[in-house]
Amino acid sequence: MIAYSSARSNSLLRRLIFGLLAALFAMPMLIGNAKAASLDEIKKRGLIVATEDDFRPFEFVKDGKPTGFDNELIEDLRKYAPFEIKQEILPWTGILAGVSTGKYDVAITAAIITKERKKSLDFTSPIADATHYYVKRKDDKSISSIKDLNGKTVGVQAGSALLARLPELNTMLEKEGGKLGKIVEYTSYPEAYQDLALGRVDYVVNTIINLKTLVAEKPVFEVGQAVSGKSFPAWAVAKDNKELLAFLNEFIAKEKASGRFAELQKKWFGEAFPDLPVAFEPEF
Amino acid sequence: MSGGDIAAIFQGAIVTVTLSLIGILIGLPIGLGLALIRWANVPVVGGIVILYVSMLRATPLVTLLLLLFFALPNIGVPINPMSAAILALVMNTSAFNCEVWRSALMNFPKDQYEAAQSVGMRAGQRFRRIVLPQIVRVSLPGLVNEMSLLIKVTPVLAVVGVVDITRAAVRIGAQTYEPLPPLLAAVALYAPIVFALVSLQRWIERRQVAAEAAA
Repeated sequence: MIAYSSARSNSLLRRLIFGLLAALFAMPMLIGNAKAASLDEIKKRGLIVATEDDFRPFEFVKDGKPTGFDNELIEDLRKYAPFEIKQEILPWTGILAGVSTGKYDVAITAAIITKERKKSLDFTSPIADATHYYVKRKDDKSISSIKDLNGKTVGVQAGSALLARLPELNTMLEKEGGKLGKIVEYTSYPEAYQDLALGRVDYVVNTIINLKTLVAEKPVFEVGQAVSGKSFPAWAVAKDNKELLAFLNEFIAKEKASGRFAELQKKWFGEAFPDLPVAFEPEF
Repeated sequence: MSGGDIAAIFQGAIVTVTLSLIGILIGLPIGLGLALIRWANVPVVGGIVILYVSMLRATPLVTLLLLLFFALPNIGVPINPMSAAILALVMNTSAFNCEVWRSALMNFPKDQYEAAQSVGMRAGQRFRRIVLPQIVRVSLPGLVNEMSLLIKVTPVLAVVGVVDITRAAVRIGAQTYEPLPPLLAAVALYAPIVFALVSLQRWIERRQVAAEAAA
């Protein structure tokens, strides 16, 4: 009886498996069809904003409440926008994917503008200057300038622009006859800093703003030199969502003109960046 | 850590316990239903259950969750992080529960079932009075094991923005640049949650033993 029933269910099983496999392959096509919401749709249902939860000083959660540079701007945006703002707070991993699939309308976080990302996303005017620097343990005497980074282990965030632009540092090192050491990738920066403190990595690469905030809190670390050329973070919307992009750029321009932008930059980054470009074409 | 930070971790504990409970309470009967379909050798549906269980056992929870969260809106099903998390948990745990229930059903002595038939019990009565009490007792350790795994797998739900104990602890570490104290607090919170579950299992088992001794 068992043999009989398994023979019968086998052909059925095979058909089912084929059907499901076909469905799996059809999935990407559906995803390709994802369409960003137009400004009219957003006006009806509200703007869905995604922010990060552990990216100090841009966005982080303090006593259960979102705060930081971007979150203060969102507060201003709530007053400025003629529609509702719905905020979703989640880890970095899901943010850009969520914007390009249309799950969120805009990522209000410090997403560094890169060539690769411009293929599936559009960026607003830069919100800060985020040239990449390295940070090391203060008591580590073996590193005093870029050339000492030769062969040393580096920690960076997985899927980040900082990781994508490490070849620039490699070029700098090659000029001195050295080369980039082992790269360790982390889901987020707090883990990378922890490993730096524990000596599992020798230096960590992040933007100057993040690192300044870090060393202000944690004097065991020390900021080194720049390891990249110009780099700017901005907010990201789905590719070709021109109306929303124009709306957000207008908001940013207004905040810049009123001096509010510089005030928030001073508060969260320790310095204002008065000559940020309105639009930025990345080389990398 | 400030008082607000500790409150945030406890908030996370509420989310962890609530999601785990919902996952267990929905996943348990679905698992039993799936096991019964396989046990009864229902044509066609039985095959679908085999496929469902083997596919879900082969899919990591994070992958399933991300797929549901990003793919469902594309086919016109809007889903928020909480619903996606619950759906993924239930789908995952029901597949594992199905196998635990099924192992108990497979070992169920057939002669008892036939004896119940011969005294004229209807199918529903046979299941409720003869089969269920015995398979519950055999399945309990395996089911509780799966439940405690479910509780401890909830941190992966953070990937879509659900803030459980671990995510709350990570957030505090990111804000204070001191990751160890919040993580220690998190570890200290999981232990009593799982302990409460295991105590419940012990209590049920003791009651069964007492009931048998009385019979």
